[in-house]
Amino acid sequence: MKNLIYALTAACLLSWGCQPEPDAAKLIDDMVVSTNYDPEADFDGYLTYAIPTDTIGYISNTSNDTILVSPKSDFPRHVLTAIRQNLDARGYTRVAREEDPDVGINVLVVNDFNVFQEIVYPGYYGYPGNYYPGYWGYGSYYYYPYINTYAYNTGVLIIEMVDLKNRTPDNKVKVVWDAYIGDLYSTIDRLPTSARAIDQAFFQSPYLDKQ
Amino acid sequence: MTAYGQEKYFYLTLNGNKPLSNTDWIGDFSLSGGRIGYRGFISPNFSAGLDISWMNFDQYEPVNTQQTGSGAITSDYFHYIYSYSAAVSGQYYFKEADEDRLLPYAGLGLGAKTNEYVLYYNIYEDAERTWGFLARPELGVIYRLTEHGSFGIMAAVHYDYSTNKSEKFGYNNFSSLGFQIGIVAVSLY
Repeated sequence: MKNLIYALTAACLLSWGCQPEPDAAKLIDDMVVSTNYDPEADFDGYLTYAIPTDTIGYISNTSNDTILVSPKSDFPRHVLTAIRQNLDARGYTRVAREEDPDVGINVLVVNDFNVFQEIVYPGYYGYPGNYYPGYWGYGSYYYYPYINTYAYNTGVLIIEMVDLKNRTPDNKVKVVWDAYIGDLYSTIDRLPTSARAIDQAFFQSPYLDKQ
Repeated sequence: MTAYGQEKYFYLTLNGNKPLSNTDWIGDFSLSGGRIGYRGFISPNFSAGLDISWMNFDQYEPVNTQQTGSGAITSDYFHYIYSYSAAVSGQYYFKEADEDRLLPYAGLGLGAKTNEYVLYYNIYEDAERTWGFLARPELGVIYRLTEHGSFGIMAAVHYDYSTNKSEKFGYNNFSSLGFQIGIVAVSLY
């Protein structure tokens, strides 16, 4: 009897004391939204932008696809529309690629790819390198002047604002603003949650406003 | 009945604590913990032994936006500390051990503590494990359920101070105030 009492008490206390973790459903309620900008960029000088209508980039260790296209997936159009609405509301004008836009908006999903698991130091030229499919025809060279200590290795939506107005003579461009939104794959109700996260990315970047 | 002062006891207690360090990160009281230990009497008023403790602390930080140099990050956060310690301890009893069923004592434990600080946000987490020296003064009481019985109840309050430092999570040290209540088994062997 004594042994039973001891065993029960010990089991109770040990289980109480075991290492708990947050409730998974609460954890993924809201996506993490991280934004960065180039302090040297003159955002007031950017008036026009170009953005794809139904295609976003896709980087994955587990798939050979390099793009996601609507209507095969409803995600690209939904995301691109949300970005467009935010840019329009902040005073930017959408133009076609051929109309020499000031900035290009690149959108991609990085899936299961450990591209952000190290600190990215200013002046580091490794990212995104070969990953980038080169939508804009300006090669894959990017100056990435930010420190990012967060580890993204599952599904991240990346939005980049690329300065096309001040590209170098050898056609190099740099990212002047970006947003990382995750995790895409564990999120319940991905489309509205992604749209909210995109709104938040612009909301927390007031230097993009023109009004 | 062998004299209490010639014996030893084991105990198992529920351990509740309130952090006193960096309470902005975690300041909430937690009942998620326990302690197990052994103490042997080396004289009618003194015992020495070993204590093993574990504690979990957590606190929720609602969604907010923090500036990060040239940018910002928005999320909600779950702050956790997983704490484990081992200490060699000594106790002075204000009555001789076989004098009364109620046995108040004062004690001091010295040992090591390891804290793992974890910040969960969405599917991501940042973590750091630290090690430190532990000092734990304690005031407690043991109450035997029957005069010659082997079972008793233990209750104590204690202050834990450890040198666990984490610059990443803003800790120069870690201290907490706690209480414990549980069972005592006297002279199992």
